[in-house]
Order: sequence, then structure tokens, then C-alpha cells
Amino acid sequence: MTTWEGLLYGIGFALQPGVLVYCVLGVVLGTFVGVLPGIGAMAAISLLLPVTYYITPEAALIMLAGVYYGAQYGGAVASILMRLPGTPQSAVTALDGYPMVREGRTGVALFAAMASSFAGSVIGIAVLVMLAGWLSTAATAFGAADYAAMMILGLVAASTIGTGQFAKGFAMVTLGLLLGCVGTDVNSGVQRFTFGQTELLDGINLVALAMGLFGVAEVVANVQDPDRQGVVERIGFRRMLPAWADLRQMGWPTLRGGALGSFFGALPGTGSTLSSFLSYAMERRVARRPERFGKGAIEGVAGPESANNAAAITAFVPTLTLGIPGDPIMALMLGALVIHGIQPGPLMLEARPEMFWGLVASFGIGNLLLLILNLPLIGIWVAMLRIPFRWLYPAILVFVCLGVYSVRGLTFDIVAVAAIGLAGYLLALAAFSPALLLLGFVLGPLIETNLRRALLISRGDPMVFLERPISAVFVVATIALLLLSLWQAWRQRRNARADRREAA
Amino acid sequence: MTIDLTRRAALACAVALAALPAMAQDDWPTAPVHVFVGFPAGSSPDTLARIITEPLAQRLGQPVVVENKPGAGGVIGVQQMLTTAGDGHTFGTTINGPLTTAQRLMDSTGYDVEADIAPVTLIATSPLVLAVSSASEFEDLQGFVDAAGAEPEALAYGSVGQGSGAHLTAELFADEAGVSMLHIPFTSYAEVTTSIMGGEIDAGFMAPSAALPHVEAGNMRMLGITSAETFPQAPDVPVMAGQAGLPDDFRAELWNAFIAPAGTDPAVIERLNTELGEILADPQVQEKLLAIGWQAAPGTPADLEERIVADTEMWGAVIDRVEAGE
Repeated sequence: MTTWEGLLYGIGFALQPGVLVYCVLGVVLGTFVGVLPGIGAMAAISLLLPVTYYITPEAALIMLAGVYYGAQYGGAVASILMRLPGTPQSAVTALDGYPMVREGRTGVALFAAMASSFAGSVIGIAVLVMLAGWLSTAATAFGAADYAAMMILGLVAASTIGTGQFAKGFAMVTLGLLLGCVGTDVNSGVQRFTFGQTELLDGINLVALAMGLFGVAEVVANVQDPDRQGVVERIGFRRMLPAWADLRQMGWPTLRGGALGSFFGALPGTGSTLSSFLSYAMERRVARRPERFGKGAIEGVAGPESANNAAAITAFVPTLTLGIPGDPIMALMLGALVIHGIQPGPLMLEARPEMFWGLVASFGIGNLLLLILNLPLIGIWVAMLRIPFRWLYPAILVFVCLGVYSVRGLTFDIVAVAAIGLAGYLLALAAFSPALLLLGFVLGPLIETNLRRALLISRGDPMVFLERPISAVFVVATIALLLLSLWQAWRQRRNARADRREAA
Repeated sequence: MTIDLTRRAALACAVALAALPAMAQDDWPTAPVHVFVGFPAGSSPDTLARIITEPLAQRLGQPVVVENKPGAGGVIGVQQMLTTAGDGHTFGTTINGPLTTAQRLMDSTGYDVEADIAPVTLIATSPLVLAVSSASEFEDLQGFVDAAGAEPEALAYGSVGQGSGAHLTAELFADEAGVSMLHIPFTSYAEVTTSIMGGEIDAGFMAPSAALPHVEAGNMRMLGITSAETFPQAPDVPVMAGQAGLPDDFRAELWNAFIAPAGTDPAVIERLNTELGEILADPQVQEKLLAIGWQAAPGTPADLEERIVADTEMWGAVIDRVEAGE
């Protein structure tokens, strides 16, 4: 079957009423669990797993996939409206989405998120269809040294996303890296900073950290300041539409985000959280006036949303072509297939073309449905801001607790989210950026594990980072980026001095 | 009047409580049964638990709820079972780690296997296969052992973590074969597989079901299996015992067991053992288990207890050697 034949066949398959209904069910459910803070695709898919015993494996996979990428759409909504990331991936979207809400541009911010999510998904699907074969070789070509070098580049590049002082940003990244050390060290098996708590052996729960830093901290801040009611606008469809200037500003960031997300999504283990951070960092770097970021720049919404949706699509590349799940949610979906007696693996494309092409076609159909579903919903989401805070905030806290509990079913994590929330509030008071802490937390363990693994494999020879071509490219890029930053800082200071001299 | 009602209610409660132990034997189960699993939904131990609890619910006439409490290599599942224990309806399924090696590998598991766990039955066992890339020069076990023996740590192998079954099995193998290999810990078979296929590491011990799809696609080769007999899921893979200098009784298997909190009514354990034994004798159940890499292996509670003691000793000795080598 050629690509086009396969795609046509897949569209026909996915449009069958008995399949389409599960696609609709999946994306609708995904949107809602995405909106609810903390309750993500993982929890929803776990709960749906027993249901899949009773439907065909193709319909099951299409439904679960719909929940997965649908949650990316919903995640942006809570992030923009209330600075409450529905999913960890959308935490970055809050950085500029929330300021847009405060400026009274809620409709535009939500529209930008939906439109760029859709565009990112389309880019992801195009990449999946055309480059799946090439991307799957990339997945095995990347070794530990390459991952380590790539993550270090990511950390250096994204460390600039915080606004304000360098020292504060540096402190947050470092704190994030330290928190990432908690748990069992993969390389030695040593338990670090667990204080005898078995619940900490696998590290601090990412969802608890994200919800605590962003969600709980925001609720506490608002309780303390009752006048801080958001600017509520009555919007008709027209107010929701972005101006031509907004659209023009969104174009390139969306394309760049989509490309970035497509690449990172396809690498097992890196995932969409990283791609949205990197997209934000990239937009800030290429922007003509980077100081607008953090104050409601529409590029800061469009880029990351496009990136995490593209990544959610290409994350299926290693899963479908190699049978290697890139993240725990993918592993869960493969588990659903195993229950049906299907062993996912490299031969699935040949053995079950209807599954592969049907799924790919369902991505397109599902994303179109999500766009159609979400645009009218924008009005409803905006109306949510009119709910008095005394009702809204307790409800949010309940959902945060539910969401955090749903990950592992441990009350320990609820206590953790409360403690992290308090810490997050204190950090917010002192104007520290929680996004940078989250970045350090996500990247730290990946960098450490891969760096040490690479050195173990090379029997201690650090030259491995320059001998492997992929790694070498990343190392050179990292050094170039550092030099560029230093040069920019030096030039800025010289210009400032020159200005002062002229003024004097 | 109100006082009278309360008094009557209290009396009724007391009578009911007194009758409880007797009821436990005759009418058990009187409520939904909870089975704790220390791994996430969709994982292999979870799928196994769901395969056996479905028919169990039919036989007991009560719903059987699988409670996923993932973390710490399955230890959290056992802990949570013990925390909830006391209602006579709380049980668990677990892989061997939390019952045999966790006490050695963790600072504190919070439970004592001998004192706190009542064995019900072994459910199934799974051997591991030694897998290498199909692009490698290794054609059989002897060739692999020869290459590994050329110099210490000549070959690197991947496992799913320090102290995991894959790690300890590889160390046992290396010790028996008289070689030493470099251990590279990963966190999942998916990562180990990618690394083997990418040529970064040389080999890995893994569950047959994790290796088979890649073997069928021509990307990997299986050099041997750690069970005493060939495994139905991969009948062509030769048994390691007796080959390449390994002793004839070389055997290393992972297993999965049904357990209860200590203090559970012996009659209930007896009942569960009988029901599970019959469920595991069903060819359909056996086939479903085999599809995910498990071979049904029911036995008596005493058999399971014996297995726990024997494996704790065997893997403990391996851990001693690994720790001494560091």
C-alpha cells in the first residue's frame, strides 16, 4: 500500500459510524479532562481501559488516542483562563496567555491557542505521514550521549524564558534540578532525599509539582487579594476573532512550534513538555522585542501550543513503527492492544494496516472535530470567569486534589501538592518564575541519567560527546548559544554605557 | 425513646459483630473484593491481575476491584494492601521483587514478608531471554560467553534498573559462566530494546514478550532462555542450563503471586487457593497469560512460601556479590 492509498483507506475506515463515534467520544472526553486541572490523559485512559475490552481494538486505540491529543486542547484553556495548567505541557502557555486575559483579550488568547493547536496537529500529521520511516530511524540512532547533549542544549536555550533578573531565574532552574534528584537514582539504585518515604522512591510527582506551583499558588494569591477579580468581558463571536495583526504575529511561531514539536515528539522519552518549553524559548529569542514576553505576547501562546500538539501526534511514531512507547501514556495504550491479543511492534504496519492508517486518519478527523468543538466553547469558558471566586476557587482545589490523587492513588501526593502550593505562593510573592523550576525538574533527571549512562557505556571517556556526530552538533550549538548570549549581554551593557555618556 | 433506640441499635451491632467470624467462613465474600496491584493500569502485572480476577469475580459472586497503586517496583502496592487490611476482603497480586529482594535493596519497605504476608498461591512464572541485536556477531550462547570472557566488562548489557529481575538474572548468569559484564541500568524494556537495536549496548535479559516482536521483525536475536524447559511462547530458543559452562540446574524465573495480609482467615485463603487453582487450569486463561509472557503455575500456599524463602536466599547471594564487586 502506498502512502496515499493507505491514507484514503484509513479515512474510509475512520469515517465508519462504528469507529467515528469512538473518535468523537475520545476527543470530547480528552477536552474535558484536559481542562480539569491535574486530571490528565493518563487518568482518563486508565479509567477507560476496562471499557476497551468490549470494543474492537482499532476503535479502542482511536478512542484512547483521541483522549490523548484532545487533552492538549483542553489543557490550554485552564492555563490561559486561570493560570492553572490543565496538563504539565500547557504550563508554558500560562506565561503569556494569562496576562492576555488580564488585558481583557481572553477571547483572542483562547482563539490563538485553539488555532495554533490545530495547525500544530496538522503539521504533526503531515510529518507522521511523510517522514515516519525516517523519524523511526532517528529514534534508534539517538544514544545516551546524544540525548544528554540535546537536553543540555534545551536547558541552556530555555533558561532564558524567565522574565526579570538572571540570578532569580538561575536560582529557580537550580532548585528544579535539585528537586529532580529526589527518588531512586537510576544508575546506582541509591535512594536520594526520600527520608524513608516509599512514596518518594520514584521522585516527586510531576503533576503534584505543576499543580502546586501554578494552580494552588494562584488560588492562595487570589484569596489573599479579593479585589483581584479578572477583567470579565462579554464577548460575541466578533470579539473572539483576533485582529489581522494578531494573525500575522501567530504565523511563524505556529510553524516553528509545529516543526520543533514534531521532532521532539518522535524521540522516545523527551515528550511534549520539553517541546513547548523550547518553542517558547525560541520565540522569545527570535522576537524583535523580547521584553513583550510574559506580558501577553500572542507568540508565547501560539508557539508552545502548536509544539505540544504536534508532539502529541508524532509521539505515535516510535510507538507504531518500532513498538516502543515514548512515554507512560503510550505504554498504557499499547497495553490496551495487548489485552486484545495484538502485540504492537515493528510489523504492525504490515500486519494490521487498517489499524495504522485508520489511526492516522482519525488524527485528522479528531483534530477537525476538536477545532469545531472548541471554538463555540470559548464563549462558555470565558463565562466561567464570571463565577464568583468564592465558588470557583474551592471547586478548583477539589479538582486539583482529585487530579493529583488520580495519578497514583496515594493520599501522600495530596499532602505534597498542598506543601508545594504553599512554597509556590511564597516564590510568587518574591517574583520567582515557577516555569523555570518546572523546566529544571523535567530536564534535570533526564540529563543526569543520560550523561552518566553515556559515560558508563564509553567506559568513562568524555570524548564520546564529540565523537558521536549527533551529540557533537548539539555540543557545538550549546557553546555557540552561550557565546551569543554573552556577546549580546556585553553589547547591551556597552550600549547602555554609551547612552549614559551621551546623556551626560 | 431516642436512648432506647440507640441502645437497641448498639445491641444489634454487638450481635452482628459477634457473628462476623462465623460468617466469614460460611458466607465470605460479603462485600466487593479488592486486589491491590503495584503497577500501573495496562502494565504486564496489571493485565495478568485482570485476566485472573475476571473469572474470580464470577466464582465468588462479588465484584473484584483491581486497585492500581504503582511505584517503588511494586512495593507500594503491597504496602497499600497492608494499610487497608482488616476487612477480610483485601488482597494483592505482586511480582517476586517486593517479596524477595526489596528488603535488601530499599532502606525500608515498611513490612516484614514473613510476619505480614500470608501466601495464597503462585499465579504464573516468566523466564527471561538473552537478546542481542541481529546486526551483532553473536550467533549462540557459547559465542556470547567467549566474547564476554575476552576481558572483564568487554560486553555491556542493559536492565530495567538496579536490583531488577533483569539485572540480578544477568549477574547470576555472568557469575555461573565465569565472566563479568558491564551493567547499564535503564528504566524500561522499551529503552533497553532501543539501545540494543541502536548498537549502543550489546545485550539484555528481558521478558520473551518484550523481545519477540523485534525478533520477528528481524532486529533482534534470542540466544537462550533461563527456564528449566523451553518456553511455549518462544519454543525455538534453547535453554541456557548446561550450555556454555553453565550448570545443569541453572534456572532464573520471575513470578507473580496472589497474596493476603497476615491474619486473613485460613478458610478464606483455602477457598481462594482452590478457586484460583481451577481458574489457572482453564486452557483459555493459560493462553491469555502466555500471550503476555506468563506461564500459569498454580500451587499450594506452602509451595509459594517455599518459593519466597528459596528465592530470597538465591537473589540475596547475588546481591551480596554485586555489592562486594562495587
